[in-house]
Amino acid sequence: MNDGKPQVVIVPCSGIGKAFGSVAREAGYELCDELRPNTTRLVALSKLVLGDEQARERVRRCPAITIDGCKLMCAAKLVKHNGGTVAREVAVLDAYRQHKELKPDGIAELNAEGKQLARVLAEEIAEVVDDLGRDASGGGNHA
Amino acid sequence: MPEFLATTVDKFTFRVATDRLYCRDGLWVFWIQPQGGVRVRVGLTDYLQQHSGDVAFVTVKPPGTKLQVGDDLADLETIKVVLELASPVSGVIVAVNDALELNPELVNQSPYEKGWLAEIDATDWEAGRSSLLDAKAYFEVMQSQAQEELKKL
Amino acid sequence: MPSLPERKVGIVACSGEELAEGTVTRLAALKVLHEIRRGETVTICLPLFLAGGEGDRAFAKFHPTITVDGCARKCAAHGTETYSGKPAASIVVGEIAAEHGIAGIEGRRCLNPAGQKAVDLTAERLAALVDQLLGKEERPDAGASVETPAASSDSAVVGCSCGSGIPVKVLTIAGQSVEVVALPLIFDKLREARRVPSEAVAQDLLEMVKVYNYVCPETEASWREVLVREFAAYCERELSR
Repeated sequence: MNDGKPQVVIVPCSGIGKAFGSVAREAGYELCDELRPNTTRLVALSKLVLGDEQARERVRRCPAITIDGCKLMCAAKLVKHNGGTVAREVAVLDAYRQHKELKPDGIAELNAEGKQLARVLAEEIAEVVDDLGRDASGGGNHA
Repeated sequence: MPEFLATTVDKFTFRVATDRLYCRDGLWVFWIQPQGGVRVRVGLTDYLQQHSGDVAFVTVKPPGTKLQVGDDLADLETIKVVLELASPVSGVIVAVNDALELNPELVNQSPYEKGWLAEIDATDWEAGRSSLLDAKAYFEVMQSQAQEELKKL
Repeated sequence: MPSLPERKVGIVACSGEELAEGTVTRLAALKVLHEIRRGETVTICLPLFLAGGEGDRAFAKFHPTITVDGCARKCAAHGTETYSGKPAASIVVGEIAAEHGIAGIEGRRCLNPAGQKAVDLTAERLAALVDQLLGKEERPDAGASVETPAASSDSAVVGCSCGSGIPVKVLTIAGQSVEVVALPLIFDKLREARRVPSEAVAQDLLEMVKVYNYVCPETEASWREVLVREFAAYCERELSR
């Protein structure tokens, strides 16, 4: 239940050519379904490619966190292309550099390390979501 | 900016800069200046970097390291592979590309320019260069390698 | 001049994160790519049409694409058409599921059995369309129409607009100006094989052209006639060199 705090939009790239795209997608689900279901909302990147009006409106109204699997940063570029504000650009490759032991493999089915990397990434992003919530509400604690 | 030979395989276009020499393993050697010996710059080819994937870590041997052809010059870890890159020339490392420490993706983004690995004062250069390939010869090797990879799909 | 590239089919999945059907598109595309049509297909990242990815764009210009969407918005189909070119075929998971009486696809992160069944069926449909586009089957009713690529009004040999360096030749066939992809390379290949213009070569020529270009069955006779005439002119030019 959203307690009136502004929602943060999460846009993973879901790139289909590399395991890192699957990590981005998995991290998006972990964050929006498990860790911060009340303060985040997943927006499909394909809608932003199409310029779907509802998706555009959402990224314009709420701060966005993008999760990209490669340095082409499709998610970040498309949020900006649609007039949104990217509050944080997250690159899975950077996360992997911080957690070298979690080497993702598999696109259709991520390996255990890839899933763990997604969890770690989602936890880190959850803190950013909390910070954004605090900023927007003038400094309260996240429930 | 160098000129390139290019070939497209599926959705990948591989470029070979025409202004330098190559080894079959996918490293280039660019003669930057004669300085008492022969100073060359070394890096990965476009084909090798694309084939290897997004680079996560690069570790180049430090300046002062003496190398023979085939000695370990650098270790490179991508999302797909861990590569031990063998030096294509003999000599002494005089500089490494510090930018790779913070931005190893330069190897992917600019393989022939900003993503260089090391500068080496080459010894026995005349003998060394004769074992290297010119751009046209490497281009043919690279095309065969790319076609072989395609068959594995 | 580049060599004649192997014909492949690009698959653009919407991968929509909000719906389980988006996950179905992704897994079905990967199943075709890695398992059932390995080596004949390439997946293309939809957002790369807008965010970079010259290689993906170039591939989609030269090779036929099939889009697979999770919902009726058809982001992949419309996005591909807007930023690349009209897909050769487009399918929607919901329609395939409805045809087979599959309801209750759920689990965008981990598909339920209905979703997994939808993955298999969607992959089979994609594979049938791949075969159709590669000319491996007589056009069965694969549940999606195959579209004609756009024509150009230019009148010379030019590079394909995809930037791949593949040359195209613009011909007038059945009253229409048509951009014939890879025709100069096909002519080179026939000449290398010491083929000369004849009725036999006309059919072979047409078959080779069909690998890289859509030829409407009703206009095949016109295509054959124009192609063999152009090949004869090409041979004459080469002889006079």
